[in-house]
Amino acid sequence: MPQVRIIAKNFMDMVAALPAMKLDKLYDNSFICEAILRSLPPLAKKYVLQMLCVELPVNSKSMEEWVLPDGASKHRVAIDRLVQLRIFTETKKKGDVTYTLNPIFQTNLKKLLVYGVVLPREPMPSSVTVRRPSSEELEAFALEQWECFLLQLINSSQTERPSNISSSMMKTFQRGLVTQRDREAPRLTESGFQFLLMDTNAQLWYIIREYITSSEERGIDSADLISFLLELSFHVTGEAYNINTLTEVQKNTIKDFTDLGLVKLQQGRKESWFIPTRLATNLSVSLTDTSSRKQGFVVVETNFRLYAYSSSKLHCEILRLFARIEYQLPNLIVGAITKESLYGAFDNCITAEQIISFLQQNAHPRVAERIPSVPENVTDQIRLWETDLNRVEMTTAYYYDEFPSRDLFDGAVDYARSYNGLLWEAPDDSKKMRLVVRAENHGHMREYLSGQK
Amino acid sequence: MASVPSKLYADDVSLLMVLLDTNPFFWSSSSLPFSKFLSHVLTFLNSILLLNQLNQVVVIATGYSSCSYIYDSTSAPSHGSDQGRMPALCSNLLQKLEEFVTEDEQLLKEASAEGTPSSLLSGSLSMALCYIQKVFRSGPMHPQPRILCLQGSSDGPDQYVAIMNAIFSAQRSMVPIDSCYMGSHNSAFLQQASYITGGVYLKPQQPDGLLQYLTTVFATDLHSRAFLQLPKSAGVDFRASCFCHKKTIDTGYICSVCLSIFCKHHKKCSTCGSVFGQAQSEVPSSTNRKRKASDT
Repeated sequence: MPQVRIIAKNFMDMVAALPAMKLDKLYDNSFICEAILRSLPPLAKKYVLQMLCVELPVNSKSMEEWVLPDGASKHRVAIDRLVQLRIFTETKKKGDVTYTLNPIFQTNLKKLLVYGVVLPREPMPSSVTVRRPSSEELEAFALEQWECFLLQLINSSQTERPSNISSSMMKTFQRGLVTQRDREAPRLTESGFQFLLMDTNAQLWYIIREYITSSEERGIDSADLISFLLELSFHVTGEAYNINTLTEVQKNTIKDFTDLGLVKLQQGRKESWFIPTRLATNLSVSLTDTSSRKQGFVVVETNFRLYAYSSSKLHCEILRLFARIEYQLPNLIVGAITKESLYGAFDNCITAEQIISFLQQNAHPRVAERIPSVPENVTDQIRLWETDLNRVEMTTAYYYDEFPSRDLFDGAVDYARSYNGLLWEAPDDSKKMRLVVRAENHGHMREYLSGQK
Repeated sequence: MASVPSKLYADDVSLLMVLLDTNPFFWSSSSLPFSKFLSHVLTFLNSILLLNQLNQVVVIATGYSSCSYIYDSTSAPSHGSDQGRMPALCSNLLQKLEEFVTEDEQLLKEASAEGTPSSLLSGSLSMALCYIQKVFRSGPMHPQPRILCLQGSSDGPDQYVAIMNAIFSAQRSMVPIDSCYMGSHNSAFLQQASYITGGVYLKPQQPDGLLQYLTTVFATDLHSRAFLQLPKSAGVDFRASCFCHKKTIDTGYICSVCLSIFCKHHKKCSTCGSVFGQAQSEVPSSTNRKRKASDT
């Protein structure tokens, strides 16, 4: 399996990497406390709950007694994570290590438990907000925005309507995903392809991470941004919230989020409001390893033909990466997986495993029940074609010919062999004295040969 | 690819069925007032819901002569989305609880009060198991269920058979029954329930600190239980109740056919109808024979 370079789930690492001051400020917001608590490993959650009403520092030795011998490694992981996120404060005194729960975090969680969660802001009454989209419309909107964004990300020429994301912002998103040599059309990098094959939540987190890391350049505090994002994820999908409750910075941010499909902005007669979509409310959910599985759309037949029940341009673009698209009907893309199309994909550093796992993950419900969901002969052939490419190994080398004597030739062969540089020599019985040596040994060979003359 | 989600549910997603004892006979004499007990429990429920957004909590009230679902976290947001989640928990639950208690009181007045003031634990256990079966059958993806009995009133020996049946069915479907017993003496039923199903039985030494007991012991999800030290039962009271007079007995007679338990010798088994031997006069030999028969 290829190593995935883009890991979308390490958002919490990013939070953990924040300076202590900012982290403490984050914990002022109870939503963040909640989101962070939920992202912790199970054992760590348990410890937080256990320590919630404990004001005194707890000795690490007595903490180790909480776990069975089997769980020692999990215990370590949990404690390390808690310390890393500054939820636990570690104090070392005379060889004793004690832990205390971060007081701000503690107070906020206690409040949450006793009074329950209040929503970040009150939704607007439906009498004020006319023309509120239905949940299906909202879903469609979010999907369309996101696909439009992705299309723009990979291939700027294909978009029908340009979104409002500034080109500089787009550049930051494209960083690492797309390379552009001068004068040439931009090309996706290896991680770019991997990015496209990820599920939506993982993609979203990747983009959000880039957005947050680039926020400092735009003069926005990354901690503020993180807290706003997590807060946003606790809003109720489909409810309208008054935009005037936001700060100036948040208002700007929300405009960017509209382009990503996280929220929908609407304008009333007097006021305007934003409506969070499922993409936004799923944000904190997807921090843990759960994810909403999308319905698949691809059917692969044993004759290498591929039917994709989708009207999405993005899907078409993704399929085009490794298959030959033959024709497109309003709701159907028909293509074939051919040797040429796959070689094109392999050239772009997409691996066979990625293609196969994409086909399997997005299998149409009708075929997804079958095992295997993608015919075995197809998956095998894809793998075979990939290994075909790896059959020939290229090594730069030098070719030596026309040796004056057999002795010199044999000496040269032995010398090259001693440097482990000999790649090929003419068989003994042939009259011709020929020799191929690795390029890096050419210098030595030259010295040797000129010394022999 | 590492980003492929292997399963829909994380390890620690749990479905917690809480059986809440509302028996007025117990709470009127308890050292911990019911209101305080309830606030501990509500905070505990909040904390369960806080731990994971997929966690589910269902509360079943166990009254004197009836039991009823009073809260279900999965259905709550549908009719109270404006109120958010957790405040809705309190208001919904308390309202339902009040209705339940009044109804239970009505039933109590109608029925003649006799026998031990025990709660209808067997009924609420069965309801919890039914709910869990429903969840099991809803699809391959479901949270891990467990039952928590918050019981205060003493055992009702007349429910022995029903409770044991519920325990065995919980054991079969691998649902642990945790029990937190608030009463003064240990509850043999709950000890057995937790022992047989692999749950935790705990009798808090300081009822005032109930919340700490609940969060430390009973908030542990099934996944983490494999790594954590949890209280072990010191001893389990395995005494059974007889089927004829519903009394808890140390030694008794067992029907060799259906294993029904009796405190006195009967001519005929009241459960399965088998006729017992007439060798009343040879007491030692008859008991010998019976033991052999029941052993095989």
